[in-house]
Amino acid sequence: MHIHNYEKIWLVLAMIMIVGFLTTVTYGATAVGIEMISDEEDTIDPGALDEDPRFAEPRVEQVGENEYEAYVVAQQYIFSPDPIEVPANSTVTFYVTSPDVIHGFQVAGTNANTMVIPGEVAKLTVETEEPGEHGIVCNEYCGSGHHVMEGKLIIHPEDEFEMEDDE
Amino acid sequence: MSGDAVVTEIDHDEFNPRGTLALILVYFAILVVMWVFMYFVEFLGNDLTVIG
Repeated sequence: MHIHNYEKIWLVLAMIMIVGFLTTVTYGATAVGIEMISDEEDTIDPGALDEDPRFAEPRVEQVGENEYEAYVVAQQYIFSPDPIEVPANSTVTFYVTSPDVIHGFQVAGTNANTMVIPGEVAKLTVETEEPGEHGIVCNEYCGSGHHVMEGKLIIHPEDEFEMEDDE
Repeated sequence: MSGDAVVTEIDHDEFNPRGTLALILVYFAILVVMWVFMYFVEFLGNDLTVIG
């Protein structure tokens, strides 16, 4: 088959572009460390969250020098704890679950975003940098009050952050 | 057109659609710029990013 020179040019460019797309995504996954949210966490009984050591009392816990874990319950139509307070320049892992229906957990305007499925625990780790306040929204229709379901993530400057109930 | 118009026949490789080539290069440039912007600025620059 004879292919015109110009046609070869745009075939090659199209191939280069596809390779470029794949390269950038690979770069994100390896060099930058972007992760997908998996279903690796063990399942949980959504009717017995109050017996689970993580979710009985939704809270933020310090687990390392600069590492925090936030246990978040999303339910019709609130997030708890609200607000979620963490320090800047730290690694925060959110564990989010739901006792009732499917919710969303999205830190508005950022890439921290997951579905919250009853019986499953969504685990996502982020690194906080700048202090500031972010809204948290539910982005899965969860009932008549869906549109008012919101929370807040407050990132405090490191030197102003104190855990409320240090044990 | 009258029947005695001069007709030039050119073969496959002599027809060079420069306008089409230019258009495709422009599309290509737009796609590359939009991809770089979307991935590196809007996505990677949009902290908090999920890393685990």
